[in-house]
Amino acid sequence: MTRTYSSAFRRVLVTAPLIAAAGLLTACFDGDDANQPPDVGVVPTPSPSPSPVGFDVGPCLNQVIPGTGGVTVAGAVVPDTLTLNLGANAGFPNGRLLADPVIDVTLAVIFLDLSRNGAGTLAGLPLNPPRNDVAFPAGFPFLAPAQGTQIMTSPGSGFAFRTNDANAYTRVDRMGMPAVSTVLIGSGLKNNYNDVSPANDVAGDFVPELTAQLTGLTNALADDLVGAGLTPCARAN
Amino acid sequence: MKLRHALPMSAGVIMALAGGAFYFAGAGLTAADHLDPPGRTNPANDATPDKAADIADVFAWHTATDVNLVLTFAGPQAANLPAVYDPNVLYTINVSNASPRTTPNIPIEIRFGQGAGSNNFGVQVRGLPGVTGAIEGAVESDLSKDGVRVRAGLFDDPFFFDLQGFRDTLSTGTLSFNNQRDFFAGQNLTAIVISIPRSRIENGANLVDVWATTARFGGQL
Repeated sequence: MTRTYSSAFRRVLVTAPLIAAAGLLTACFDGDDANQPPDVGVVPTPSPSPSPVGFDVGPCLNQVIPGTGGVTVAGAVVPDTLTLNLGANAGFPNGRLLADPVIDVTLAVIFLDLSRNGAGTLAGLPLNPPRNDVAFPAGFPFLAPAQGTQIMTSPGSGFAFRTNDANAYTRVDRMGMPAVSTVLIGSGLKNNYNDVSPANDVAGDFVPELTAQLTGLTNALADDLVGAGLTPCARAN
Repeated sequence: MKLRHALPMSAGVIMALAGGAFYFAGAGLTAADHLDPPGRTNPANDATPDKAADIADVFAWHTATDVNLVLTFAGPQAANLPAVYDPNVLYTINVSNASPRTTPNIPIEIRFGQGAGSNNFGVQVRGLPGVTGAIEGAVESDLSKDGVRVRAGLFDDPFFFDLQGFRDTLSTGTLSFNNQRDFFAGQNLTAIVISIPRSRIENGANLVDVWATTARFGGQL
């Protein structure tokens, strides 16, 4: 089908540096602040037509993320935890630094054929803002100070903390990898997903849901990726 | 790095598109985990959203000397709003450094408590490896004990992402990101930062897994 792209978007996509090793991803956003990233905004077509075919996302889930020592996309999101290999360089998907462009990397590894387009392809554009709006301090506490002016708490003592055991509390939320629950778990399963543990992930409880959600996204976006000169990891049925 | 799990190829479920635009079931997406699950934390979906228990992000990274853990929550919010400290919420940063990787060998529990004044709050962190008892003290201050550093307080929201672009992408089926548009710019949230000597976490060549949970005393709102 025909898609309308801005010429700038097509240009930056086809000329984007392909960064194959995930261990090098931090280079994507530690660049020179003076070099403003290009605006890759796209004018949405008002009434897009459906994709003509469906896709099998199995090749996406089973492809190895370069630079991780053999971790597949499926292995990175199941179980839903941040995994640190202390013997390798820190940086998403080996743990997560504050400055990591996790959404662009995640979109790349779930949509693109990593043997053709590196995991850093979208971060290299970048597709999303490449860095936080304020700088992070180098040392503890690492987060930038609050912006604006607000009523701050005052120092004190004699704080009253609850002494109840953990089992006296009712689960509300859980999180490991960024955007897994929000993007790859549909609304019908969200509460259940947040109520259970990574052991349930490993048991495969959410494999059909993860696959279905990724398939739905791929069906809608594959033609955009191809039109932009990229190679989707999914295979047409 | 050893692989433990791979999704079966046969698990593919094809969702045929009906019409031009499509609705993605996860379209309540707001960010990394902000406002998720929406039925419990998003005002657009829940009449009694649990802002205090809403995880925004989890960060974990190692250096030559430390493992740093950051849990952010109750955001993003406007820059004129105060931090959120709820004594009825239990925050847990789960760390696993041994098999099975899904069992938290080191569950770090964080609670907030109120002091004598209406605007006095403290933080308590239990389960820290190598720390005798808990680390306790006032929020908005650097705390340290037995080599572990802790600070809880209001911070800038460290996440950056074109939320509008993602929503437009989902609703139109066309990539619509703009890298000049950061929904989280100029917004804050509440966070707990913990820095632990690496030797307390490292367990040979084992991988280290980290995830966070929140839970509310007295049941969900």
